[in-house]
Amino acid sequence: MRIDLGGPGPACSAARVRRLLAGELAGVEGERVARHVVDCARCQEVQRRVAAEKEDLARAVPFEVFAAGVAEKLALAAPRTPKVLRWAMPFAAAAAVALVAGTALVHRPRAEESESRSSAVRSKGGVSVQVFIQDAQGVRELQGAQVAVGARLQIFLHPSTRKYAAAVLLEPGESSVLYSGVAVQGALPQSFEWTGAGTATLMLVLVDEPLSAATLRSPADAPAGADVLQVPLRR
Amino acid sequence: MAGLRVIEGGRAAEQPGTPARNLPPGLLAELYEKYAAQVYGRCRWLLRDEHDARDALQEVFVKALRSLNEFRSDASPSTWLLKIATNHCLNTLRAKKATYREQLEAVQRERRQDTEPPERRELVRMLLGAAPAEAQEVAVLYYVDELTQAEIAATLGRSLPTVRKRLREFIAAAREALRIAVPGLELPEGDEP
Repeated sequence: MRIDLGGPGPACSAARVRRLLAGELAGVEGERVARHVVDCARCQEVQRRVAAEKEDLARAVPFEVFAAGVAEKLALAAPRTPKVLRWAMPFAAAAAVALVAGTALVHRPRAEESESRSSAVRSKGGVSVQVFIQDAQGVRELQGAQVAVGARLQIFLHPSTRKYAAAVLLEPGESSVLYSGVAVQGALPQSFEWTGAGTATLMLVLVDEPLSAATLRSPADAPAGADVLQVPLRR
Repeated sequence: MAGLRVIEGGRAAEQPGTPARNLPPGLLAELYEKYAAQVYGRCRWLLRDEHDARDALQEVFVKALRSLNEFRSDASPSTWLLKIATNHCLNTLRAKKATYREQLEAVQRERRQDTEPPERRELVRMLLGAAPAEAQEVAVLYYVDELTQAEIAATLGRSLPTVRKRLREFIAAAREALRIAVPGLELPEGDEP
């Protein structure tokens, strides 16, 4: 039996119906879609699904529960490290198209680096990181170049099968957590500006179990079997 | 002193946690009324767990509130939110090592008793796990949100050839997964949707 997975129709789409219902379509386009929906079985099915979603939401997540959860998560998202990290805006998507891969050194902790670790060194392969810089010259790969004052840095992660990641900025005598959480494929949620001087290192640690990024102060602190990638920064 | 600082005017110019104190009155209720149902629906569909979906719903709106300027200026806030929700859930599933093979095998068991094809959206959801990470998001935008390839390219800031490539990757992975797990169920010929 053959099954068609679907896709956009010749004149309609689920997204367009959702936009119509959310009041995001105005003028001629809004009128056209509104007329179309009246006679389109596909679009009416989407409308029924939207109505069912509203009922599901009201039953499972009333507004009070939703608002309390959002407020709690916002509070939890507040800076937790004593040295407050401050984030910069992500690069514009259009600019990102022009980006080229940066370079990274890959290090996998050896068992002898910590007596408490297993002797196993695990490599899943394919883990890599790209670092991009945006400054007065535009957006390009970092490739060991000097980081100008005011330049923005964006980390793109390629975690392969790794499930969790941490990104830490290592400076002499200090470490700052840039990211800790699920090993996202692609850009980390936010970019940043390095305001230090001399040299520093961006350290990425990828693992299969949740890890505590606050304890990462050098590659030797990474859990056994982790993939550790280091990108040098200099100014 | 940590060598990092915020760039004013950026997406995260509002400090983490600040939106909780500075939300305009009624904003959260308005967002809930207009967008929460579709975001929750997307999270339920992908995660298949009410508790996880509720958590994901809240996470998505936290991201929206921390990126309020970007959210408000987007041509389609509903599409923007669904994209964030899809990404969040796909990453969660990856971290949990989604069990798409088991789900497909269940489809096969049910098919022995039922000649009806599986529900299209459910099949797409199961097949996502077989595809490369970057192809998953494109597949959701195409098969579920029914955006055209050009609309997907604009939404993701990717080129049209890249979007086509990702769809081909998804179809190839889906076809192979079906061949192994659900013999007798196959996709139409061709490597393009």
